[in-house]
Amino acid sequence: MEPLIGMGVLALMGAAAAIAGMSEDLESDVGSQSNPNSQVQLAPQMMYPHRIFNKAISGEPPSNALMCAIGGTTAAILMDSMGMSVLFSVAIGALVAALAHGSYSTMSFFGRPASQKRFKQPIYLDVLRSHIVAIMAFAFVTTFSIVIISYLMITALGHPFPLALLAFIWGIAVGAIGSSTGDVHYGAERQFQNTEFGAGLNAAQSGNIVRKGEAGLRNGIDNLWFCSRFGGPATGIAFAMTVFLSGWITLVFDPSISLTIGWLSVIAGLIIVLILIIFNRKLEVSARNTYGPYKSDKEEVAA
Amino acid sequence: MAAGGTPKKAGSAIPPKKIMVFGILGSLIGIYAGHFLTIMFGPVFSFLGVLGAICAIVWGADTVRRVCSYGIGTGVPSIGMLAIGMGIVAALFGLEIGGIAGPVVALVIATIIGLIIGLLGNRIMKMGVPIMETATAEIAAAGTLTIVGVSTSMAGSFEIYNIVSHVVANGFIALVFIIGAIAILHPFNSNLGPDEKQDRTLAVAFVDGSIVMIVTGIVVAGVSIASAVPTLVIGLLIWIIAFTKYYSLVKRDAYKVVGTGLLPTEEELS
Amino acid sequence: MIDFAAIIAENILYLLLIIVGGLLVAIGVHFVPVGGAPAAMAQSTGVGTGTVQLAAGAGLTGLVAAGAVMQVTDNLLLVIASGMVGAMIMISSTMLLGNMIYIYGVGVPPASAKIKYDPITRDRQDLYISQGTEGHGVPTSCFISGVIGGGLGGLGGAMVYFALLSVTNGTSALNVIGLASIFSVAIFFINAVIASYNIGGTTEGFHDPKFKRLPKAVVSSIIVTFISGILSLITIGGL
Repeated sequence: MEPLIGMGVLALMGAAAAIAGMSEDLESDVGSQSNPNSQVQLAPQMMYPHRIFNKAISGEPPSNALMCAIGGTTAAILMDSMGMSVLFSVAIGALVAALAHGSYSTMSFFGRPASQKRFKQPIYLDVLRSHIVAIMAFAFVTTFSIVIISYLMITALGHPFPLALLAFIWGIAVGAIGSSTGDVHYGAERQFQNTEFGAGLNAAQSGNIVRKGEAGLRNGIDNLWFCSRFGGPATGIAFAMTVFLSGWITLVFDPSISLTIGWLSVIAGLIIVLILIIFNRKLEVSARNTYGPYKSDKEEVAA
Repeated sequence: MAAGGTPKKAGSAIPPKKIMVFGILGSLIGIYAGHFLTIMFGPVFSFLGVLGAICAIVWGADTVRRVCSYGIGTGVPSIGMLAIGMGIVAALFGLEIGGIAGPVVALVIATIIGLIIGLLGNRIMKMGVPIMETATAEIAAAGTLTIVGVSTSMAGSFEIYNIVSHVVANGFIALVFIIGAIAILHPFNSNLGPDEKQDRTLAVAFVDGSIVMIVTGIVVAGVSIASAVPTLVIGLLIWIIAFTKYYSLVKRDAYKVVGTGLLPTEEELS
Repeated sequence: MIDFAAIIAENILYLLLIIVGGLLVAIGVHFVPVGGAPAAMAQSTGVGTGTVQLAAGAGLTGLVAAGAVMQVTDNLLLVIASGMVGAMIMISSTMLLGNMIYIYGVGVPPASAKIKYDPITRDRQDLYISQGTEGHGVPTSCFISGVIGGGLGGLGGAMVYFALLSVTNGTSALNVIGLASIFSVAIFFINAVIASYNIGGTTEGFHDPKFKRLPKAVVSSIIVTFISGILSLITIGGL
């Protein structure tokens, strides 16, 4: 293929990936999913009942993989068997995925608090009504973007995997990235804004999540507002980097031209990884120098 | 996910053996009926396969519930992914070598692989979960029957060439993989907590099963509308019935279900 | 009837590749620094997610890269190297952005609680741990361990995919790609979950004391991959 067209496709994929990563993370923040949800789950037990959505479908990778696989499969059927246009097929696929995701979320919203009867956690129906729309909307955006990425990979870049499988794999990847990056912003900072910034989170604080909002009682939509400042975009960047860089190396050094160029693509990839390692080291050093140690060496000896 | 509660034996109103018989017989009858009736009378009956899969899902969900209440060291989802990973291998192998006995062969092989993994977990890796061996065997078997059931509905028969060209080659098997895994692990995961009740968890298993059925209906719509309509209609009906039942059980079990309101007061909590 | 012995004898080399691939996945999981739920609250060192999830995310990204390269070449080394690099890029982007959130979003420096000095950078760790936590973030040795782990996962996944795709068969390429890819995903998940059970869901990487449990996972992984490898091989070979 014309290398410039390939670059354009890759840029489009990267843009879609940034959107997918961001919406994936915000979807898991507004509904509270994956690891930070353990605090939402623990809070009533520590006598802190709350008004936060408890969306324990599964870890983010499986639930996102499911959304994307449903979207990819539906889109593939509408395109191949019914001859619908690509954009409509993908949109309808994402709609079906969002509806299914809404059903799974509702089950968890009812189920987890109902299993906490002894801690007196009520089930607030208005929380369900206001949050489920946002959850499904983000699920739609995530699925739409991921299926678009997969479709571009197959039609423009000639990837051999079928659409449903590729969407499934990217769903796993975006979920893994979202739960590793953006969720930390929600779990370690937003849920515990009552502790001093940078002091770390003492394990004794577990379950003591912030339950009061800027106005009224805090809910998932307040968390969404906060996490869209940093956690969401960071997730988007991470996923876009993954999609773009892993595609870029084989596009610039196309292994179909010759074996040597194929090996160059591997070397280019290793250099990128090395740069990321060095970047991380610089980050670590600057953080250590800026923040300084929590305790002096003497205390450590005495203790 | 770490908040798994204290390790204890889960109380079951319906005994595990009963659910196991329901799962195995129900799914095998569904799969065979779906296979033969579709061949004899046309694609209208293909929904029976996924109806059988729902029985297997309920069985799998009940097993996850029993094993995960011991606290298995990592999240509930991983055991679902393990089950369905073994299930994919056992299901396709069983259908290929078994011919007409395919689903049964797949079931037997899955049970054996599951037992081996359970033994490795307890004997070599020293997980120390009392029912690990039987639980992994049951979950693997349930995962396999789910995959076979859904694939039978999608392909119209469980003949391997049909399944490979209608479910595997176009990648739909990835959907079967993940929707089966979620249907097995999600019911317990979404009801995790000290006051979890078996009937409520199993109601979610039916809801999740109905979603599997609806999605299967969408998939078969690409092949024949005659098989899509009954699958979609029955799937929606099961969803409505199971959801209504689940909501009534939630209202029975929850501390209270309110339209809106403030948090419980200090006096209320103490 | 399918002749099992003939299929296995013909593809014995590929069976070996599958076993090695599965084993690499299981070993790779032991390298991935994952702190589970506490890490998502910055209460323990590592990435704030589950082992299976992060390893699967990285390994399957590698599988996508390997699948693309497999399309144009049948050179085993190039295919698995591409899988490895794809997975490494995914896991290092994730850990880098994760660290940024720990540092700028939560305000804690990366520090490990299991060791006093970082084995690679020789930095003092214990002083930088905030009160009442088991470390936080991804320090350099965890980062490098994660890159190795992700790389091994991608390498293993790509190796399984390559082997299954090369099995002699009598069916169309489209069918074989479908079967090989889903079997690779399945074998990947089985090995990742087994390895995850072995370390109890969390680890800091190669310097973690739990790393010594590796031999148990190796034995289990070989047994399980052998069984699932044979079954998948016969399924593809018999068509």
